[in-house]
Amino acid sequence: MAAILILLTIGLPWLGAVLVWLARDSRPRLQNILAVGFSVAAGLAALALIPSTSSGTAIHLAAGGIFGDFTFVPDGLGVFLAVVATVIGSLAVIFSIDYMKGEAQLGRYYALVLAFIGAMAGLVLTGSLFLVFIFWEITALCSYALISFHNDDPKAVAGGIKALIITQLGGIGLLAGALLVYAHLGTYEISVLLEKAHLIPAGMLAWMAFGFLAAAAAKSAQFPFQTWLPDAMEAPTPVSALIHAATMVNAGVYLLARFYPAFEGVPGWKTAVIAVGAITALMAAVMALVSTDLKRVLAYSTVSQLGYMVYAIGAGGVFASQFHLLSHSIFKALLFLGAGAVIHAVGTRDMRQMGGVGKQMPRVRTVFVIGALALAGIPVLNGFWSKELVLETGLTHGPWLAYLVMLVGAGLTALYTFRCVWMVFYGEPRSHLHGHDAQTAMQIALVPLALGTLVSWLLAGPFAQLLAGSLPFHELEAHSTLEVLAEVITAPATYLALAVVALGLAAWIWRERLSGLASALQGLGKWAADSFGFESINRTVVSSTQRLAEWLRGSQTGYLGWNVAGILAGLIIILAILAWGA
Amino acid sequence: MIISSSSVILIGILGLLGVGFYGLLATRNLIKVIVALQILVKAVLLAIILAGNLRGQVNLSQSLALTVIVADTIVAVIGLALAVQIRRYIGTLDVHSLSNLRR
Repeated sequence: MAAILILLTIGLPWLGAVLVWLARDSRPRLQNILAVGFSVAAGLAALALIPSTSSGTAIHLAAGGIFGDFTFVPDGLGVFLAVVATVIGSLAVIFSIDYMKGEAQLGRYYALVLAFIGAMAGLVLTGSLFLVFIFWEITALCSYALISFHNDDPKAVAGGIKALIITQLGGIGLLAGALLVYAHLGTYEISVLLEKAHLIPAGMLAWMAFGFLAAAAAKSAQFPFQTWLPDAMEAPTPVSALIHAATMVNAGVYLLARFYPAFEGVPGWKTAVIAVGAITALMAAVMALVSTDLKRVLAYSTVSQLGYMVYAIGAGGVFASQFHLLSHSIFKALLFLGAGAVIHAVGTRDMRQMGGVGKQMPRVRTVFVIGALALAGIPVLNGFWSKELVLETGLTHGPWLAYLVMLVGAGLTALYTFRCVWMVFYGEPRSHLHGHDAQTAMQIALVPLALGTLVSWLLAGPFAQLLAGSLPFHELEAHSTLEVLAEVITAPATYLALAVVALGLAAWIWRERLSGLASALQGLGKWAADSFGFESINRTVVSSTQRLAEWLRGSQTGYLGWNVAGILAGLIIILAILAWGA
Repeated sequence: MIISSSSVILIGILGLLGVGFYGLLATRNLIKVIVALQILVKAVLLAIILAGNLRGQVNLSQSLALTVIVADTIVAVIGLALAVQIRRYIGTLDVHSLSNLRR
């Protein structure tokens, strides 16, 4: 049963991708129906998979040789993320009906989105490190193609190329780690690695641990790779909500959580993870504070919240990080889709031109404010519980300096969230923009997410049991919802964090009186708007990769003789290596 | 000095390989390229059969060789058919003039 459901969860979106493409762009109605039908069906299949959660292998396909065995394991972590990917994926597809109405090449759009959903489900459900790498790369390719969807816009193309190159750097780390596992254990099975990690020499294990950390940082836009995500905002907004907020960027966090038992003993690894998370969370929060582009603010806040999850894993809180991932996926998808409705209505992303939009779009304002309150960590929304759990884990198991940084980050989060909501929805209109409230399909997508933001924290107990029951190597405890909530409420860290959040809120309310402070920090703001200089580093990496590619292209002459010579040279090199090894 | 039959065959294989690769590298005529490819495949065939003999798995190597012969014939037929069409529509068999890549 589990095997069939796994195949459906991964296969239905891929089948839908092919059918949407075959339906041709001249029949957009049929394309809408196909895309929604297949993505919703995949979401239902993933939800049906929840009861069959287990740590056992459900599908075992012996590929043999260097490829190892292809296995799929429906354990708690995988099923949970597959549900997130397919359910939020189907909501994003429904939202797209209105958002992408009248766009040319709708087939390409839907096909790529559906292919992404299938690949993301495969990435989290597979038990083979080799397949993790394959699915990882498919999601990166879909992300690249969707960022550059408007391929006549040079900014969109540049953003896509940048995202592809930076995430590929991480992909190399993942591939190297997978090959090292195969070299030492003779298998790609993740469960074998978690069980026998101590058999690998310490030095090798350290290389793998830091290789995986680099892979995760690149995929989840963590320090020092954080600058690709804001540029990825050139993508259509449903894509930003799905790929660059709710699913693909979580793949890095997933990777760290998945391999935490194998690497927690590596000296310095946990400290490095905490450092990456804390630096990213603070840096991105400051950048969100000075940005004026609505989608970029949300992108920076995504980077910042991902920093919280990474930090939680470094402090040993795998459950806290995954719980925050759940909350974040829901409220950030809500925020992005709400922002999409606003952008669709007013025709600009510049918050300085908005203001007072709330009067024209009361429904969108309501759901956006719900999402914003969750992001800021206001009780009793889901973001509050999970963020407090992360902070509490950090206080008890992590260094106090990192905790302090995260606390400041929480205050800044509240500040930039209220700034964003105010600039968009309240105050006087700053230009003559004519908005209209969200259309039917948009509302159908927004309402479940808003409800989820309000109540998903009630699932803490079942979620903890789901993870604890099927992850034998993670040493998780199955708490009930009440226990988790009581743990948050009774912890002193919670009230400290709430005070800081209130401080952030107060800073926004009394912003006029604090204008002296603001002008004193203007230098910092300028520096932050410039991405603290990391933008230029990332840009150098991208441009040098492109130059190298242009140079290597010279070897592609199309002459038969050249190609044959290349094959001969390769053969001789391989023979030489074999002779040298023997 | 005793020369075993397998080393004679090995020398033959290397000779055929050399001729085949030289042909691929040096000729520009598409027909000659296909001929060179055929010679190369014959060397591979010989190598398969020799390996089967040495390892005592004659049946396996012979069935593999038969498969290669079938595949190889198809390659030759399609290659020659393409050559005829190229000669007809482009007017030349020079492989260098077939490339449309920007250099």
